[in-house]
Amino acid sequence: MMHVSSSTFFFCEPVTGERMRWLSGVISAAGGEGASNETGSVKIFLSGDALFSLLDARTRPGWVTLSRMPSVRITADGDVLLLQGLFDPVASGIPGIRVTGAGNGRSFWGELVFALEMDWKGTKNAAFLLCNSPYMSRVPVYMLRFLASVVEAGLHPELYCYLDGVHVLHDGQRPSEFENIGKGVSALAGETVRSCRDPWFAACSRCATARGYYQMNPGTGFCEPASCIQDIAIRPLKEILARFPGFYPVASHMGGWTVPAGCEGGGVPGLSVFITHPPYCSEWTFGGLSLAIAAAMDGIPTNVIFIEDGVYALQEIHEVPGNERIFNVQEMIAVTTDIESLSYHVHSPSLEDRGIHRTGDFPLVGKVSDGDLPRILFPSKDGPASATAMRMLFF
Amino acid sequence: METTNAKDFTELTCTNLMIKLKILLNKLPPGDAVAFYATREQVDNTCSPFSGQGYQVSWTATAENRYLVRIGK
Repeated sequence: MMHVSSSTFFFCEPVTGERMRWLSGVISAAGGEGASNETGSVKIFLSGDALFSLLDARTRPGWVTLSRMPSVRITADGDVLLLQGLFDPVASGIPGIRVTGAGNGRSFWGELVFALEMDWKGTKNAAFLLCNSPYMSRVPVYMLRFLASVVEAGLHPELYCYLDGVHVLHDGQRPSEFENIGKGVSALAGETVRSCRDPWFAACSRCATARGYYQMNPGTGFCEPASCIQDIAIRPLKEILARFPGFYPVASHMGGWTVPAGCEGGGVPGLSVFITHPPYCSEWTFGGLSLAIAAAMDGIPTNVIFIEDGVYALQEIHEVPGNERIFNVQEMIAVTTDIESLSYHVHSPSLEDRGIHRTGDFPLVGKVSDGDLPRILFPSKDGPASATAMRMLFF
Repeated sequence: METTNAKDFTELTCTNLMIKLKILLNKLPPGDAVAFYATREQVDNTCSPFSGQGYQVSWTATAENRYLVRIGK
């Protein structure tokens, strides 16, 4: 049986040579290259630091190859290219790349929202999972642009603040040089209500508590928002993930989705979480694992793929010293392999590139090659016609 | 009244508390118990289900929405 799927990827963080290697295989497979019974269209949207990869000698050949595929369309954010001084080299240097914005017709963000409406036919909502803090990162600016275009398209915007993304909550932001993200969220919420749409803006309560935005009232024993803007509700991650069974896209700083044709609204979309950072020094690994495990416990079919520096989570045996307060990620994995909806994988080429081995204690974390990734990410290829959509999030 | 050797798990999500308890209970010698503080929601959603897995679960309220929980093998 021939399956047709529609996939979109949005990247605004650096695309390294290593990432380009495995990603181009995944994108080629999504577009129908090398698959016997799968064909599809792939839209790739590049903004922020991902745009440098269009000219970087380590990644440019990969984009050139992909841009020549008839099923693949690559769109670059012209406004950011102007800012980076890359507009002309990109616009004239790679024939297959479309540059939008910068006065060229529809905005980059309008194009992205148009693409998601084509993929998720009939969707009423579109969401952004924000994991980056304002000012240190420009991702919150992209989140505002994306959600403003969502509202313009007549859809309901949803915002999920997670990890450092919860800093968007802070009341009284007053940047001297940058766009005020707190005010931007409030303005977006107001505009959404005025256009008779419902904003659903939430921040993870664990992340908000850790950062001081959700404090215990000793009189009631319950936490309350502290120094927060009014437009984002603090909710348990479980409540945020309770939205995920809906048929709508969730964009993030790095990620995407694939939607098989004919699956409109049917079944619960799957989730693939790529763990790309080393464990412990940042919250990416713990945050990605926590979200994936919570999603799987709520019945969402979930893959966790340790890839690039994420494979260090599985190297040797980790021991938490005496009184350190930190989760041992290997113990997290070990006690959750029995969750029915959860599958763990480790990317063999990432292990080989680093000259390391997966510890023998994790036989249930299956090794996968570049060629195996499409089978995990696009299950419709081997599955029944009732296959569901798949969301992809990078941590 | 606070018990000094009981850890405070009130700020963990239900998922992370479940993970933490599975890790601790895996290491627990038979006849021993883990004691910790939890919220009402955690007691109902995460701690109580362990009684269906062969563990002894008990709790007492120590303050508003604060419970001292013991889970033993």
